[in-house]
Amino acid sequence: MKGIVFVKFNEFIEELWGEDFWDELLSDADLPSEGVYTTVATYDDEELFTLVGLIVDKKSISAKDAQYAFGKWVFKELYNLAPPGAHDFKDVFEFLHAVQDFIHVEVKKLNPDALLPEFEFLTETPNVLTFKYISPRKLCYFCEGIIHGLAEHTGQSIKVSQPECEHEAGKRCVIKVEKV
Amino acid sequence: MSSNDKPALVGEELEKRIAVLERKVSREKKARNIAENKLEQYSLEIYKTNESLKEALASSTKKQKELEYLGCASSNVASELKLNEMISNVIDLTGRFCMADFGFYLVVKKGSIIQGDLNTSWCPSGGEQNNDTLMEFIRGLLPLDNVDLLNSWVALDIDPNICKPEHTFEQVCFTNFSLAADKVGWLVLLNNHNVVDFDILSVLNTARGHLLSGVRRRLTDVRILKRNVQLQESLEKLEKTRRQLIQSEKMASLGQLAAGVAHEINNPIAFIRSNMEVLQEYLGDYKQLHEDLKKITYGNKAVSSNEYQVIFDKVDLDYIEEDSVDLLQSNIEGLIRVRDIVDNLKSFSHSGNEELVPVSINACVEASLKVTGNVFKYEHQIDNQIGELSLTILGNLGQLQQVFVNLFVNAAYAMEGGGKLTISHSSVDERIVIHVSDTGQGMDKETINKLFTPFFTTKPVGVGTGLGLSVSYAILEAHDAQVTVDSDVGVGTTFNLSFPALTQQ
Repeated sequence: MKGIVFVKFNEFIEELWGEDFWDELLSDADLPSEGVYTTVATYDDEELFTLVGLIVDKKSISAKDAQYAFGKWVFKELYNLAPPGAHDFKDVFEFLHAVQDFIHVEVKKLNPDALLPEFEFLTETPNVLTFKYISPRKLCYFCEGIIHGLAEHTGQSIKVSQPECEHEAGKRCVIKVEKV
Repeated sequence: MSSNDKPALVGEELEKRIAVLERKVSREKKARNIAENKLEQYSLEIYKTNESLKEALASSTKKQKELEYLGCASSNVASELKLNEMISNVIDLTGRFCMADFGFYLVVKKGSIIQGDLNTSWCPSGGEQNNDTLMEFIRGLLPLDNVDLLNSWVALDIDPNICKPEHTFEQVCFTNFSLAADKVGWLVLLNNHNVVDFDILSVLNTARGHLLSGVRRRLTDVRILKRNVQLQESLEKLEKTRRQLIQSEKMASLGQLAAGVAHEINNPIAFIRSNMEVLQEYLGDYKQLHEDLKKITYGNKAVSSNEYQVIFDKVDLDYIEEDSVDLLQSNIEGLIRVRDIVDNLKSFSHSGNEELVPVSINACVEASLKVTGNVFKYEHQIDNQIGELSLTILGNLGQLQQVFVNLFVNAAYAMEGGGKLTISHSSVDERIVIHVSDTGQGMDKETINKLFTPFFTTKPVGVGTGLGLSVSYAILEAHDAQVTVDSDVGVGTTFNLSFPALTQQ
């Protein structure tokens, strides 16, 4: 996983629970990278999952909530780093299409080895959009959080749900976004 | 609550806090080192990529130049330019491609340079120019006496000691190829500033292959052109000979007819002569009558009826008058016959031009029958069924007459003991077919097969040329006419001549 995710996760945790808690997480996790994260390097996905697992234990929250909260927070951070042209979208649906057709294309130019999730759009009406979330990392809750962060940015009120989810014994993850 | 309002840390808590921050700083330092290392690594990669891009660009620019040179040289070689123009262009292209200082095209025969317009030198600034000093210089450099042809370009370093002060060259590149008539063409490049390397030589050798095939093609073209002119001349000679042959054959058949024609002419001449002798006698009688009458009238005497009767009875004037009219009429007819025969012979023997004009084929048959009239004897019957018709085709009267005369003479020959010659016609698919049938001895298949072969004849030596039917066949071909022969041994032969119809009334 790209270092930017870990750097932002670090910032998120420190912002939420302080530097001591992050230091405690790293001491407990005993990670191969020792928590030395930089945006220009790549780290094992497992390190993130280990950290999330520890937070779930220590703070007694669900993994789903942890991913969701981080997703929602990280949107604005990633948005600021996004390539020029990614800032012209004013609508959640429009932006979600652009993720697939534009943003991920630009990310691939800079990081050819980046493993990015794929969105397969299933249905779309003016108010409801459903798409398949495809990623071996299965971070569908994180994705839900990002979509909420996006809606916050566009000033739209939305409801995000998953009619099907691999974590809920589904064969695939389908994310449904409704404008309310 | 601002950070300033936080309660101050003391003791263990402070130490713990310091430890957390120290670990954080340590992680940040390590992260920065990793990032810096990464940056250096990226910089190096970018530098290497840049270098390899530069190399690729240089290599592709070089390749592009090579391709441009090969393309231009090939299209120049493939063009319709003449040999010298083509080679002159190749020198220009090759000189520019190699960035040479001078280029030459020399034509050498038996080791010596053939002087002339061909030996011009090229230089990048001034195009082609004559340069005797340089020519002398390269004469000393090249193995011009070497009879063996090179199979590629050769690059040789020049010994600086042999260079004159005004010309300091480092390298000479040359190749040669064979031209017509033991001549050898040499392409030479002199280099001062830029030296041709192995890569460029291999490109030059590729272009050399094209050049050689272009040279060969042009030399072959010249040979083909010469051969063409020769063929054209032969064709004209052949055509002239063909015309002579037709005329000769015509004269030969005329020779065959000569005896008969002489007889035809002799007959009227004989009776005209005999008539003239009689008329001469009659004139003597008239003279006698005139004398007698003068004797009487000079004595101023009137002629009595008795005297007149005595004189008249002496010469039988009534009979003379009556007979003279007959004799003169007979003579006139005889002379007309002679004139007709001569006219027909003239039109037959006249070579004329070969133009095809509307010709009445029945008139042609009629005239041919007149010419051949006497080859047919009393025991022959002639049944000309087309005499009254008007059948017009596009043809040459003299030549067609030659064909029919030939057929009629052959028919007469085949019917030695007598028989019947029938000339009839039919129309098939807008063609007029003339049938010439005899009731002669006929021919077997073998003879029919050889019928139109030149010099084939069944007549005894000295009688036939063996060319009659082959010449007739050639004439008929020129008339777009088809010939078929039906023959049964002992029954007779029919020649069917089918002409494209013009009009039929």
